[in-house]
Amino acid sequence: MTAAIEATDLGRSYRGRWALRHTSVTVPTGKVVGLVGANGAGKSTLLHLAVGLLRPSEGEIRVLGGDPGSTPAQLAEVGFLAQDAPIYGSLTVADHLELGARLNPSWDSAAAEARVAKVGLDHRQKASALSGGQRSQLALTLAIGKRPELLLLDEPVASLDPLARREFLQDLMELAADGLTIVMSSHLIGDLERVCDHLVVLSHGHARLAGDIDAILDEHRLITAPRLRPDQPTGHEVVARSDTPRQTTLLVRSNRPVLDPAWSVASVGLEELVLAYMALPEPEHAVLRSIRGVA
Amino acid sequence: MTWLAWRQLRAQAGVGFAALVAVVIALVATRAHLVDVYGPSGNGELTGLYVWLRLLGTVLIGLPAAIGAFWGAPMIAGELEARTHRLVWTQSITRDRWLAVKLALTAAVSVVIVGVFAAVFTWWCAPIDATAASRVSPANFAQRGFISIGYTLFALAVGVLIGTVTRRTLPAMAATLTAFLVVRLAIQKLVRPHLVSLATVRTDPFGPGPRGGWVISTRTVDAAGRPTSGRDLENSLAATCHITRATADVDQALAACARKVGIHNLTRVVPSGSFWQLQTLELAVFLVLASVFVAATFWWVRHRTS
Repeated sequence: MTAAIEATDLGRSYRGRWALRHTSVTVPTGKVVGLVGANGAGKSTLLHLAVGLLRPSEGEIRVLGGDPGSTPAQLAEVGFLAQDAPIYGSLTVADHLELGARLNPSWDSAAAEARVAKVGLDHRQKASALSGGQRSQLALTLAIGKRPELLLLDEPVASLDPLARREFLQDLMELAADGLTIVMSSHLIGDLERVCDHLVVLSHGHARLAGDIDAILDEHRLITAPRLRPDQPTGHEVVARSDTPRQTTLLVRSNRPVLDPAWSVASVGLEELVLAYMALPEPEHAVLRSIRGVA
Repeated sequence: MTWLAWRQLRAQAGVGFAALVAVVIALVATRAHLVDVYGPSGNGELTGLYVWLRLLGTVLIGLPAAIGAFWGAPMIAGELEARTHRLVWTQSITRDRWLAVKLALTAAVSVVIVGVFAAVFTWWCAPIDATAASRVSPANFAQRGFISIGYTLFALAVGVLIGTVTRRTLPAMAATLTAFLVVRLAIQKLVRPHLVSLATVRTDPFGPGPRGGWVISTRTVDAAGRPTSGRDLENSLAATCHITRATADVDQALAACARKVGIHNLTRVVPSGSFWQLQTLELAVFLVLASVFVAATFWWVRHRTS
């Protein structure tokens, strides 16, 4: 099956600074994928590359098997909700629906109208008069109304209040149930844990972790041991380590059995795990491994 | 895409078309008076309202710059500022097509407004031009014929490119006005006189200049064709013909003396008859320049904008 997004040694620089580099990541179809990372980690850059707003500086990205943004057919397959949900302030809600219908051959007018009615948008209202949540809903309606196979959402819940956020995520789950592949970036790991079944963690412009959340949780463990020397071998791939005078806590990526009876093993929560990967120092390019999706 | 481009332009286009209709009605209703004033029984002088109507020609000179600044500069810069390019470029339409439709529609509306205005104004001015004015003089050249269409398309192309590159509407508007005026005046001064062959006219140094043409240069020569400078001229004429402060009507005496010794002006002019040839050639120059700017905009939007 063709991957939704297949990036190979992907890189993009702005005026000599790399926003994303040496990123190889595979996003499978039919999943809800969370894209996590600190500000400036390269989340927006990756999404813009996937929708064809940006071209790669190096490497390659294929989306649904095609070159992003290259043809109207390719554009029709990918729905995109940009950060801050840009819409035309001087146009009304009805104008935006008309825009969607005129610019997308596969436009689903009935579904778009139903969505607008459901979220309570007034057709005659100017977009500039909409609240942040309403803007997001209108922009999301445009992104969904073209009936894409892949939906890319850049920080879609950032401007929503908690109630609107819950409804928004509920909508996404319904869309995902219909078979739509969704990739959404967010800071809010709790939200992502609720709706996503796959995760990509970006840090300093590199993909650090990618895979199904269940698998990720399964292959990481917290080991608490009596204080270890810094150079003492642990026999495990250590992601993060913290030392107190009496003991050492290791976040390890390994399923190998822990033999030492003095060491205790515990499972790790997603938030703690993601934060550990986000906090990794900027890698030396020469030693960086490419990280591939598990699915 | 045409629907969206028109939806974004229609309010401003409506104002433009309404103003055009008002101008055309005013000019059509008043032309009969010009035919009288500049006819055989008229005194050849406009008064009151008609002086103001004639100033519409000045509006016509300023119109291309205004279109470049107010329609060209914000066309892409406005989308980049509001980030709506990320909305429209991710619909099922390529940005080449998006840019082409927006440019074509704005250019078409601008050409209709400026073209009709210029054509009607040229027709309104025909009685003046037949007797009094020089159509090739710089002030009138831009108010007549179809050259303002070339200026308009060029100003639009400059505005769109500057807006695309700077990504900010207000600085782009200011830069567009400056760039357009610099290029427009540079071509008027440096290129236009070379587009057609000049005529050399012999005139009286103390009389009026040549009528009907656009004077490019004047030099004063003696009967043998040697140049004489203006300051020495009067002194040497005074000495030759014994003209003093006591002479009655010094100017008349100097003019008569110049005729007697054969001193005359050689004036190089763009002849009035080259008006349409000049309009066509300069239009071509501005269309070529506009195409270059449009091509650069397509390149920039495709490769440098996100």
